[in-house]
Amino acid sequence: MKKIIFFVFTLFLLNGFFFLHGKTPESSDQCFVCHEQLGGVADLFKKDIHFQKGISCSGCHGGDSKTDDMDKAMSKSAGFLGIPKGDDISLRCANCHAKKEMMQKYGSQLPTNQLELLKASVHGKLSTNGKEKIIQCTTCHNAHGIVSVKNPVSPVYSLNIPNTCGKCHSNAKYMQTYNPSLSVDQVAKYRTSVHGMLNAKGDPKPAECASCHGSHGIRATADTKSQVYALNIPETCSKCHSDAQYMAGYKIPTDQYAKYAKSVHGKALLEKHDVGAPACNSCHGNHGATPPGVESISKVCGSCHALNADLFSSSPHKQAFDKEKLPECETCHSNHEILPATKAMLGVDKEAVCSKCHTETKSTKGYFVAQKMRSYIDSLDVSEALALKLIYEAEQKGMEISETKFKLRDAHQAKLEARTMVHSFNEEKFKEVVIGKGLAVTTASISEAREAVDNYFFRRYGLMVSVFIISLLSLSLYLYIKQIEKKQASKLP
Amino acid sequence: MSDLDSNQNRRSFLKYLLSTSIVGFFASVLYPIVSYLNPPKQNEVEVSTVLAGKISDFEKDSGKIIRFGNKPVLVIRTEKDEFKALSAVCTHLDCTVQYKKEMGLIWCACHNGKYDLTGKNVSGPPPRPLEVYQINKQGENIFVSKKA
Amino acid sequence: MKKIIKNFYDYLDERLHLEDLVHFMGKKYVPVHSHSLWYYFGGVSLFFFIVQVITGILLLFYYKAGPDLAFESIQYIMSKVQFGWLIRSVHGWAANLFILSAVIHMFSVYFEKAYRKPRELTWISGMLMLFLGMGFGFSGYLLPWNELSFFATKVGSDIAGAVPIIGEPMKILMRGGPDVTGATLSRLFGFHVALFPGIFTVVLGIHLLLIQRQGISEPMHFEQLDKKEKKTMPFFPNFLLRDLLLWLVMLNVLAILAVFFPAELGHKADAFGSAPEGIKPEWYFLFMFQSLKYLPAHILFIEGEVLGILLFGAAFALWLIVPFWDRKTARGEQNKLITYIGIFVIIFIIVLTILGWVA
Repeated sequence: MKKIIFFVFTLFLLNGFFFLHGKTPESSDQCFVCHEQLGGVADLFKKDIHFQKGISCSGCHGGDSKTDDMDKAMSKSAGFLGIPKGDDISLRCANCHAKKEMMQKYGSQLPTNQLELLKASVHGKLSTNGKEKIIQCTTCHNAHGIVSVKNPVSPVYSLNIPNTCGKCHSNAKYMQTYNPSLSVDQVAKYRTSVHGMLNAKGDPKPAECASCHGSHGIRATADTKSQVYALNIPETCSKCHSDAQYMAGYKIPTDQYAKYAKSVHGKALLEKHDVGAPACNSCHGNHGATPPGVESISKVCGSCHALNADLFSSSPHKQAFDKEKLPECETCHSNHEILPATKAMLGVDKEAVCSKCHTETKSTKGYFVAQKMRSYIDSLDVSEALALKLIYEAEQKGMEISETKFKLRDAHQAKLEARTMVHSFNEEKFKEVVIGKGLAVTTASISEAREAVDNYFFRRYGLMVSVFIISLLSLSLYLYIKQIEKKQASKLP
Repeated sequence: MSDLDSNQNRRSFLKYLLSTSIVGFFASVLYPIVSYLNPPKQNEVEVSTVLAGKISDFEKDSGKIIRFGNKPVLVIRTEKDEFKALSAVCTHLDCTVQYKKEMGLIWCACHNGKYDLTGKNVSGPPPRPLEVYQINKQGENIFVSKKA
Repeated sequence: MKKIIKNFYDYLDERLHLEDLVHFMGKKYVPVHSHSLWYYFGGVSLFFFIVQVITGILLLFYYKAGPDLAFESIQYIMSKVQFGWLIRSVHGWAANLFILSAVIHMFSVYFEKAYRKPRELTWISGMLMLFLGMGFGFSGYLLPWNELSFFATKVGSDIAGAVPIIGEPMKILMRGGPDVTGATLSRLFGFHVALFPGIFTVVLGIHLLLIQRQGISEPMHFEQLDKKEKKTMPFFPNFLLRDLLLWLVMLNVLAILAVFFPAELGHKADAFGSAPEGIKPEWYFLFMFQSLKYLPAHILFIEGEVLGILLFGAAFALWLIVPFWDRKTARGEQNKLITYIGIFVIIFIIVLTILGWVA
């Protein structure tokens, strides 16, 4: 607001100035000729890319730049507009920037959809005073003195972007006026992130605000079209992090996205569109993006997998891992490519993670416990498979077995609980779930299903009775026929 | 004479055998048919309403799993003496959920998933809310039925 | 007891003149010769048809057509309804045995050349019933709405759809749309329980009426025999009682089959699931299905499958009108060619059915 008042004020001043001096030297751009003597905006405009391309003040402000008669030049009949206000500012820019042929005329390869994107963005839709939208082109690009994005003095040059955005987004008072729920610590957090620290050191490549949120078409995070909508985050990060050429020199791998997409989390998010599943930022943070340290891994995973984390923390592994400086969850589950946990992970086979540390000769106690725990799960699996087979058999034979089938759900539950309980690394607790709960259910189901199948064979007794009766009737009918025919034969002459 | 007699005997025996076996035959054919026609206890193919029990069967601020067809349904009597019925199958990995008094929430033991009493998934891995069933009271009886 | 029956009979006789009927039946004779056994298969087919009507009506009391309920209602019949498993299994087995005995009946008539004048219409009505029986089998197969039936119907109607010109509209008519869906189920259900039984009953009535009117066919060599040399037996009660005896034996067979090999449920049909391996039609369609498989993709300019279907169509048509082109038999001469054709057809069907079964 202050700015606007200032502009209007200078305009008045300038007007008076021209009025006093009247005549100026002949030149092609009479506006500039006069205004240059006044300094201020005209000095800024000298560095502007538009000035360099030969665009006059009248390009944006209207009027006749050919005449030195101020009255004529800045008259309504010459099309003088004065200082564009509100949404008119962006429309003035779009006058050229939305037209391909106009841009080509000046030899520019810039896209021509900026205003369109801006209008669809959160900045182009919201308004604080109901008259104009929050952001006009000039808000980020400046009014006079606009330079290329690649020019380090531009406010939208990658090193300057955090501060440019922060002008509003770090200003709690300003942000309150239209989105009080949005935090204002993004830039501060960003500065603590790997991206932010490199940015501060003068490296233009690491991500800044626009890398993730977009520039003209910034949308709210809840907008499904936003680049930072939960489902889109992995792809947004992968734009840089999967580009080996771009990442060269940073000495980190570029296969995180490929691995994540294969993981149980990636599948839940990308295939099942379960927005509750973690994306990159769920573990790494968003503005303060940093890889979790060895210490914090279990806290990060534990924010969702709370039971597992609790059990692990009170298990003997906690101390051992701390001593060896092993990252807690990651040691067994890896980081980006976390696959669904199967029983293959448990035990002493080659694929089993336990055997990484526990062998027959080293840390032998764990070796035998792992072996036992695996055998419990195996026997539950075998038993459940048998129960399912028998239930299916009974069902196919038309026996009523739904009660047993219903009960067998508990075996499935026991298996899932076992997957959690295994993090206690306590044989007794594990056994209680797998054998005490799971196997008890499957054994009961097996005997019930067997009984149903046996009952089915009981039908054969019923069959025997009816077959006997029908056979008896057949026999007596046969004898009856014989008798009739004998009578008929005796009647014949 | 005795030859005729035995012939006569054979004939009457045959008649006796024939008539009894005809009766037996009809019995053995009609018995399954009549029992078939006798409507079974569960008289519809799909379960639409189930008697969950009497009001007194439920303690205040507690939950109970009942069988709804082949699916478990959690019936909760809240602190405020309201009855609620929700599918007891966790939307994450199909475990059976339970009512946790201390938290006043529905809780899944497998992965610490939590739902509020309207079935909304509020914490942990569950991706979707629990399906809500309808409660109908008829005198002392509590019925659970599928929402139309 | 006897008196009551006698009184009841007299009551009816007074009004309906039953005496005429008994007299008529008593004068009917069934020829007795070395091939007399074959006469019984018509009656056996009738028995299975009656069983189908009874068990079919019983199943209707609990069955619900529709993709959401068909499978579940069958499951319900099999597990919840008392003796539901028995009724369904008997229905399934009697369906197969009906086709089997009808086919045997048809071939016996063919080899005895009993279709010759004046029984052309009896032959045609019988053939119509055999086709209807196959229609019953095809439409009934889908009703449990399980994986196997779903895909068998899909493949079966696809084959019908390959017939030039009329195939596509026929397929649409059969499926009630371009694909096998719930609409197909409703449609085939309608065919199975209303349309086919209606037509079948009429044709069966004509068939039986013709037999009663014309009497049982005599073998050709009887014509040269003197009236005294012809061995016969009265239709009533001798032949009828024997028929009943055979029916009882068949009922026993049915019960045993139903208990030891009950109808299975399978898995519920899933239109988007992949077809289970080794989809095969019912055994009586197997020989056609298998021969179509052996045909090359293209024969001259015509598609192999289309040619095969056309050939089968032509063969069925020729078979149907055999009484009209077999002039030699009509003149009362021996026609060995017909016998050879018949033997070839039987061998062809048996070999291809076995090949289809094993494949």
